[in-house]
Amino acid sequence: MKRWLLLSCFALLFVSGFSQNGWQQAEDFYRQGKFSAALGLYENLLKDYPNDPFVYYNIGNCYFKMGSKGLAAANYFRAFRLAPRDSDIRHNLTLALASGGERLVPAGMPVILHKGFFYLSYAELKGLAYAGLWFVCALILLGLLRRKWSSWATVCCVLWLLLAGWWYARARLEQEPLAVVASAIAEIRSGPGTNFPASANVAQGHLVTILDDKDSWYEVIVTSQGIKGWVEKSTIEKI
Amino acid sequence: MLKKIFVLIGMMSWAGWAVAQVNISAHTDKNMLTLDDELTLTVQVTGISGNIIMPQLPSLPAFNVYSREVEQNTINGNTTLLFRYTMLPRFVGNTTIGPIRFTYEGQTYKTEPISIRIYRNNTTATSPSAAKTKTPTPQLDASLPPLEKSLTKQAYAKSSEPFFLVAAVSDTNPYVNQSFILAIRFYYSKAFYEAPYQKPTVSNLFMEEESPREGTQNINGVLYRYQEQRYLLTAAAPGKATIGPASVHYRVGSSPLTAFDRLFGGAAISPEKTALSSPISIQVRELPSGEPSSFYGGVGSGYTLVAQATPQEVQAGEAVNVTVTVKGPGNLKATQNLTFPSMDGFKIYPAAATSGTGTSPTGNLYSYKNFKAVLVPVSSGIYTIPAIKWSYFDLQTASYKTLQTTPISLTVKPTSKSERAFDFSGSSPSTENGIQALTNDIAYLKTTRAPDENLLKKLSRLDTLNWACLLFVCIGILFTVVGRKPLERKKAFVTAKNQLKQADSSQRIAEALSTYLQQKLRIHTGSLPVKEITTQLHQKGVTPATTEAFLFLWQRLEAERFAPADVSTPSAINLPQEALRILKLMEEEIQ
Repeated sequence: MKRWLLLSCFALLFVSGFSQNGWQQAEDFYRQGKFSAALGLYENLLKDYPNDPFVYYNIGNCYFKMGSKGLAAANYFRAFRLAPRDSDIRHNLTLALASGGERLVPAGMPVILHKGFFYLSYAELKGLAYAGLWFVCALILLGLLRRKWSSWATVCCVLWLLLAGWWYARARLEQEPLAVVASAIAEIRSGPGTNFPASANVAQGHLVTILDDKDSWYEVIVTSQGIKGWVEKSTIEKI
Repeated sequence: MLKKIFVLIGMMSWAGWAVAQVNISAHTDKNMLTLDDELTLTVQVTGISGNIIMPQLPSLPAFNVYSREVEQNTINGNTTLLFRYTMLPRFVGNTTIGPIRFTYEGQTYKTEPISIRIYRNNTTATSPSAAKTKTPTPQLDASLPPLEKSLTKQAYAKSSEPFFLVAAVSDTNPYVNQSFILAIRFYYSKAFYEAPYQKPTVSNLFMEEESPREGTQNINGVLYRYQEQRYLLTAAAPGKATIGPASVHYRVGSSPLTAFDRLFGGAAISPEKTALSSPISIQVRELPSGEPSSFYGGVGSGYTLVAQATPQEVQAGEAVNVTVTVKGPGNLKATQNLTFPSMDGFKIYPAAATSGTGTSPTGNLYSYKNFKAVLVPVSSGIYTIPAIKWSYFDLQTASYKTLQTTPISLTVKPTSKSERAFDFSGSSPSTENGIQALTNDIAYLKTTRAPDENLLKKLSRLDTLNWACLLFVCIGILFTVVGRKPLERKKAFVTAKNQLKQADSSQRIAEALSTYLQQKLRIHTGSLPVKEITTQLHQKGVTPATTEAFLFLWQRLEAERFAPADVSTPSAINLPQEALRILKLMEEEIQ
């Protein structure tokens, strides 16, 4: 048993040491301008930390420096979903989207409102909704048993319903199948095949919403332009 | 003073000697001609003054001299005499114009001899007797370029005619965007009066005209002159391409003129005739797939790529002009513009590309394309313009090849100006508060992992547990809501009993009774008159005696509460017991 414990401790130390080295080495490559080498290391780190927003952020940085603004935007988006309060992630995502003519904050919406709406990540909002639900249930129970708690229970119930509305809105956004144009140009065709004529070219970095899937084609709608059509799967990156 | 005089005399004598230098030279307008041609001999004499002295021509048995012109030009006291002799050949063969002598002030000057070759004219060549003895088309020199070989071959095939037009291309199976030459030659062995030329029409090809050229060629012993027009063709798309016939409409004398006719300007112009070249069909090949991203459409061999930046040392905000030049064969005009790589710390303003053609010292045609961009460094530092790639399809190896420029180092010093020196964007950022925004780059890497998950995130993972607990709570609430009233009813007597034990006034006793009636029997005493309460008590199963006792007690309590002066104090003390007794009776009767 002791031997197993020792071995486990050693393995843990080894793994943490390797990942620490990976971060440092990737940063060194990045600073030397070897962005593709840094990207490879960060993609390895992603296998160990699939929910780390900073890994996605760093991958986005590597792609941005390599000129792939579409792939950069996709990775920043993933990081933003995990850590929306991080100012660096918001800044880089805004820049990457702007290079493709897109906006993070919809036109006409105050930035403060957008920041407020995305103050919590979806997971945090879900956790808060659960906690709120527990609290409200407890208050309702108390209100039923003791009359004087019933008014508090009503107020909290209303607040929780608002929270639930926020949660629902975020859940809708979270489930929206968004993608970014990753190749230099994505040709939008009227059908899923090259035998259909191309109606528009969409440049790298544009956001699209996936509507349907057929073989190696996606039916998409370009969010900012409202153009609908089919694009090859290889030209876009799902977020 | 004496020295000055000597110098002056010296200069004057040198000037006299220089003036006295006589030069004579002679040349002809051609060295090869036919019996139908005429030859112009020009003799130039310089360095003489005074009357015109004619040069002495040598014996010219092979020519008849039928015209002579003299031209005198004097510039700054120097006289130049030009004597032009027009001569007609008489015999076929090689001949020499011997030295021409010129005697001036007792001294004789002479020219170098000139060799002339005279061929028979085309009439002779096409005479029936000559046709019988016509030599077969000789084997063409294998080292000749294909274009030249094709033209010559066609010329030999048509050599029985005095005027004909031939056309050939350097490649009949080119790739898309590949450039090749179309040459159209108008051969003639006789003089003509006018010959308007009409160029061919082409399909699926871009055509650019080059400057015309002239030449002579001996075909089957007949000297032909030719005028050649070349075109640079570029294939536009894969598939068939065609070159239509070119034409020359010419007029000639109806019959060979005699020397006498020529001397007196005789002429007999024939009706207009047309010489046509054969149409040419070309099959354009598609370029193979797998072109690199830096391929902009260049097809050929031997391209060169050079980049230069000026100046290489600037202040931040100043412009650096970068020029990338690609040079090589073919037509680069049709190629796409090069995309400059984005560079951190620089604003890049690409300018329009320029292209053109030229001739190398070896006489080969080449084209070039210049791609220009203005780079504006936004901050100081040592930067490197990375290698810029340009790919082309190499015809020799039938594969794509990539050229790249040498990286260029730029030194950017901090700006000494308060305002930005160079900005094409037109939206110069504000410099208020001494801050000038330079560029908007992405934020730096995150050097550590993200912080561990907070409580909310952990809570969000407990989906099943959360919903199970929620269900449990809901069931609890449901049971509470449904079972609350029976429980209250059950507990009504105990509640009322406890209230009565603590009751210290008729008010409290009335409240205890009211609570009991409300919880147990759903009778709201506050909103009902006494008569109605009695009715409801009867309906709930309370006996009339108990009801009577309750009403008596109720009225007593009301009297104590609202008219305390009319009620004696001792009876009021027994009221809780009385109330408890009545409630016990009610409890039993309702059961």
